[in-house]
Amino acid sequence: MRRLVDRLFRLATGLCALGALGLLTAIAFTLVARGLPALGRGSAGSTVGASLGLGGVLYPFLGTLLLVMTALLVATPLATALALLESVYLRGGARRALRIWLYVANAVPSILFGIFGLLFFVMFLDWGKSWLAGGIVLGLMILPTITVSLAERIAALPTRYRRAAAGLGLTRSQIIWAVLLPQSWGGLVSGALLGLARAAGETAPIMFTAVVFAGATLPDGVRDSPVLALPYHIFVLAQDSFDPAAQIQLWAAASVLLALVFGLSLLTLPVRLRLSEEARNG
Amino acid sequence: MAEALRAKAPLPFLQPEISRPALVIRGLSVDAKNRPILRQVDLEIPRHQVLGIIGPSGAGKSTLLKTLNRLVDLESPSLAVTGRVELDGRNIYDRSVDADEIRARIGILFQRPVVFPCSIFHNVLFGVRRVNRLPRRNWHRRAERSLREAALWDQVKDRLDDDATTLSVGQQQRLCLARTLALEPEVILMDEPTSALDPRATQAIEELIVRLKRQHTVVLVTHDPAQARRVTDSLACLCICDGAGELLESGPTAVVFRDSRCCEAIHELEGGPPGVR
Repeated sequence: MRRLVDRLFRLATGLCALGALGLLTAIAFTLVARGLPALGRGSAGSTVGASLGLGGVLYPFLGTLLLVMTALLVATPLATALALLESVYLRGGARRALRIWLYVANAVPSILFGIFGLLFFVMFLDWGKSWLAGGIVLGLMILPTITVSLAERIAALPTRYRRAAAGLGLTRSQIIWAVLLPQSWGGLVSGALLGLARAAGETAPIMFTAVVFAGATLPDGVRDSPVLALPYHIFVLAQDSFDPAAQIQLWAAASVLLALVFGLSLLTLPVRLRLSEEARNG
Repeated sequence: MAEALRAKAPLPFLQPEISRPALVIRGLSVDAKNRPILRQVDLEIPRHQVLGIIGPSGAGKSTLLKTLNRLVDLESPSLAVTGRVELDGRNIYDRSVDADEIRARIGILFQRPVVFPCSIFHNVLFGVRRVNRLPRRNWHRRAERSLREAALWDQVKDRLDDDATTLSVGQQQRLCLARTLALEPEVILMDEPTSALDPRATQAIEELIVRLKRQHTVVLVTHDPAQARRVTDSLACLCICDGAGELLESGPTAVVFRDSRCCEAIHELEGGPPGVR
């Protein structure tokens, strides 16, 4: 009887895994199959005129890359500071408050970040639509993810390292630089990766703050310098999906977005492999 | 006149540098949130000697050791320390004292060696290059000297860039000692440094301890009376009274071993009934 239950459980687990894997493969396959031919066409089939190259998605691709990199540049130092505050400097009530704040911030719907960006950067600072506003808003959105990931890694470090370093007379900031950060930056990498994949696909935070559908190339300043972006491109094209030419571009944009996220996670693969090996041996 | 001087010429143990204790503990108590751990300890730690701290587990031996370089500050939940620990006549618990500086001057060796995940070479220099900002051109010389002092140089000189975790546990413990020695500490605290080691590695560490007292003062927590007999010059015996550690007796090792109450406590550690030996 117990073996039967065990087998059934294993069967159910396997089916779930297969189902999930199958669904993902089907989506990826459809995207690539429909998108690849479109990528070769250049601007010939484009209904929107201004787009060039990669089936019209070159500039949305570059725009998304710019937004995501800005978001990372904004979020990483802030996340490091917050994680150190949470795991090293604060104690008791203040530490609990920060932790709760981080989880709440992580649950804030992305459209609210978009509204904040619109009110603060676009209207109050009078930037108009700007890539920088979008990058900062995306950075704030992924900040809690990266912070929690790093702080948990720091908390998981054996206290003997901290004690040994303190026993040698290292100051708290020396311990941070020599012990805590070198041994926990894997948390920063995996947190950044999670955040980055999310930031690359979000439409809500950037649609009011940073992107337009057509007519922009690469920005040459901050004020009134919007970019094109893949998710917003997909969003607009999808509303137009009865037009066959728009459909082709839609598939192209979607497969490029998928490739971008996949490529970025591939880029960090060597780092993550080494880290997981260290975790096994350590 | 010359004769008068000679008559006054101090015997080695009367020289001011030597006769002044390295550390003086006065009225030291340590309390956790709702229970005492150590009560009213008074102890002088003689310079250039090995002082052993012995006693049953739970008598606060390790806690006493950690109060001597303020490593107790790091305990969580935090412990309250009252009383004085004087280094060069100054209470290390004074507000004006920099605890990090104290920890650089009073090194510590733990029960289990803690090597950092980097090379042997960088482990030796881990403290000194940061705390004393030792210039890079002196790194190699300092590493060699410290490793020689810890009797490890011959075994690692051809593999300094290897990961420190590739060493045996006994070698790792000596590496930790070299790392502490690199900072040229006045006092070295050792918290049962051989409890994780096999007999041969234990012997190597014990020989080192005896050699170290020429340059340093050593405070050694041990639960092994035989080890205390072998390496210590003086001994402090702790016991548990009313749930907290108290100092039973302290003095030259031979004297403490003759004290009847300490004898009882120590023989219990040896696993035999009191008074068998």
